[in-house]
Amino acid sequence: MTGSLNVLAAAIAILGVMPSALGEGMVCAHALDGMSRNPEMYGKLRTSMILACALVETTAIYSLLISILILFTK
Amino acid sequence: MFDNFFTFEITGELISSLIVIFIIMVLSLIVGILAARQNPLKKPKGLLLVAECGVKFFDDFSRDLVGTTLPNFGGFIMGVALYLFISFIFGLTGLPSPVTYMAIPLSLGLTTFLLIHYTSARFTKWAYFKRYIDPIPIFLPINLISMWAPLLSLTLRLFGNAIAGWALLTIVESALRDLSAMIFSFAPNGLNEVFLAPIPLAVLHAYFDIFSGLIQTFVFILLTSIFIGQEIPEDIDLNTLGRRKKA
Repeated sequence: MTGSLNVLAAAIAILGVMPSALGEGMVCAHALDGMSRNPEMYGKLRTSMILACALVETTAIYSLLISILILFTK
Repeated sequence: MFDNFFTFEITGELISSLIVIFIIMVLSLIVGILAARQNPLKKPKGLLLVAECGVKFFDDFSRDLVGTTLPNFGGFIMGVALYLFISFIFGLTGLPSPVTYMAIPLSLGLTTFLLIHYTSARFTKWAYFKRYIDPIPIFLPINLISMWAPLLSLTLRLFGNAIAGWALLTIVESALRDLSAMIFSFAPNGLNEVFLAPIPLAVLHAYFDIFSGLIQTFVFILLTSIFIGQEIPEDIDLNTLGRRKKA
């Protein structure tokens, strides 16, 4: 049984995904910028972009982890 | 907190981990026997070709990031990558994936962490302790705390990804079950839950287990290689290192 304060805490914890989403958007925007300027680098840039996205995503995953822990543990 | 610290309980994830290790062992044995029987003048094919491509990929990978100082590093990286990827896609079988058990990402992170410090101590000798008072001795407490950052980030990245995928899949599955039971309420009880779930769950499994697993495996071995590679000094001379050890 989770109290309503726990739900609120989980909601606050998940707010941490916001800057991570902004960061991912910046990664993709700059990668697209590079791709349009230099189309023959498309393959390499795509690989690096996916890697950088996975790295940036980590902070969002931390928030998700914390809110899941708040919600699903006693 | 420490009451249950020394009680050892075998959970499903540990058995899955043993199964994964067994799969890798059998695969390695088969590849080894095939490689021993193969005529080196002929072109390899089938499983041996895949294995050779994999070994070449990981050798190139470790040479790019770590350099030629640690010649066997590609093998370590390949072992970790195989274990992690098979662990991630092991969730597809319906058994619990080993990565969703905190101890297993922690052990992998701990391996990297110990290797970082071992490599640093091996190449810099007593100057290794200088990293704790860098740049001035007053930074000692900060350095003592920040030395755990790679361990924490590697562990939580793997565990967080696996557990987030697992939680999402569980929530979607239970929601689709209820929805299906509502729509197909004319079907006999117990059978009416199974109609909606298969296709969306397959897509989610493909993303969270296969794609995310591949990316996280690659990120893990990339970070491991970068962390270890930056501990090796640029101007290291392998010959003098070996000679000093013998003398």
